Amino acid sequence: MSDTYPRLVQLLVKNFGFETDEVTPEDTFSKLELDSLALVELTLTVQQEFGIELSDDDLGADDTLGQAVKVIESKPVVA
Amino acid sequence: MPGSTGPFHAAVTGIGMVTAAGIGTQASWNLIRDPEGTAASEVPALEGNPAHIGCWIPGYDADKAIGRRKAWRYDRSSQLALTAAAEAVADSGLDPGEWDGTRVAVVLGSGIGGAGTWEKQHNVLLGDGPLNVSPLLIPMLAVNMSAGYVAMDHGARGPNFVTATACASGTTAIGMARELLRQGVCDVVITGGTEACLIPSIISGFSQMGALSKRQDTPRAASRPFDVDRDGFVPAEGAAVLVLERAADARARGARVYANLSGYGASADAHHATAPDPSGAGAELALRACLDDAGLAPDAVDHVNAHGTSTPLNDAAEAKLIRRVLGRRPAVTSIKGVVGHSLGAAGAIEAAVTALTVGEGVIPPTANLESQDPEIELDVVAKTARTAAVEVAVSNSFGFGGQNAVLAFSRA
Repeated sequence: MSDTYPRLVQLLVKNFGFETDEVTPEDTFSKLELDSLALVELTLTVQQEFGIELSDDDLGADDTLGQAVKVIESKPVVA
Repeated sequence: MPGSTGPFHAAVTGIGMVTAAGIGTQASWNLIRDPEGTAASEVPALEGNPAHIGCWIPGYDADKAIGRRKAWRYDRSSQLALTAAAEAVADSGLDPGEWDGTRVAVVLGSGIGGAGTWEKQHNVLLGDGPLNVSPLLIPMLAVNMSAGYVAMDHGARGPNFVTATACASGTTAIGMARELLRQGVCDVVITGGTEACLIPSIISGFSQMGALSKRQDTPRAASRPFDVDRDGFVPAEGAAVLVLERAADARARGARVYANLSGYGASADAHHATAPDPSGAGAELALRACLDDAGLAPDAVDHVNAHGTSTPLNDAAEAKLIRRVLGRRPAVTSIKGVVGHSLGAAGAIEAAVTALTVGEGVIPPTANLESQDPEIELDVVAKTARTAAVEVAVSNSFGFGGQNAVLAFSRA
């Protein structure tokens, strides 16, 4: 099983003030109160963590964490 | 208003403080009143710098103070402001859930704003390129943001701004806050100052000017205002916030009033970028304007909370000014001996302490004053706090750029 989801959760814990048990794969970013600036910040940290490139709209407010995992896993590792 | 009758009193009904002396007003006041030298130590962020000591706040946990889900979005300067503002508002007994937010203003002072964020993101720019710079850089850096965030926290929708007069910024903010009350454009002002720039670029800048104490190996002895062996200031971070209301309004709601803010004066030296005018003419304008505004004669002043940075030039010029305008009567102190010099927050922290001094009738001592400079011909409170009825106190602040601001507090 992929470790993408737990790694994504760890980014939310380390940089965005969440506790591990505060998020589920079904939560959308807007439900987690991550606004557009926070999503750009998250995009930067995800790129660094996973060594991938994301476009500005790869992570959207209405996306769930589960959907974000799929987006991350669909990107080729570039770094 | 010009031509109106008598001085205008703004009641100080709430105080919040986060300083190197303590987190919270009571903790800060306790150590400022009974100091154990300068509350300075090695600043981790300054490791390897020639100037590496400062009055920082190691125990401050922003996640705990303002919530881990929000704290990461703020520069430390805004975090400290939010913490002090929350304490001040709670202390005032006013309920932001009940008040008419359109009548609540926020006026803070800051010298530099989110310098720590700027430095960090500049390093990101140089190391990782522009596409990795944080989208939060601007709202974390901009000097106005602390007041904006305080407004969001408390639903304060009245006038909102940040004053920048260098080391007088907090004093200017509080003076302008009182003007808003006097003009009647609001009923409550959340006002004070914040600063958090104990970072390599900024401290190197001060160090290269020769402004900082060279006692890098003995931090507790480093800030020694009015002492013959003073050799520069100790940089600090911190925030203090006051809640001000018209005295009549405070009385009507039965609020506890620490002191009344009864006068404000401001001026410019028009002399030099960083050195005070040795004649003290500019600072004297501000002090006299403050006394005039408060309707006070110079001999009414019992106490001066001095700017007292511990630099050779400032303390000598300020002492001459106090002596010339107020005589030898007032008991003078500089709390920078304890909390160092927090630049744009300093005037606000000193205003908070002056209000407490007036309210409690206890004048804190000037820490590390072991041998008073013979050129400082003043009654400087040394060693231990002095119990005294303080009817009137003034608090001086002088900023780089020659920007001077003075507040007068009177017993409520």
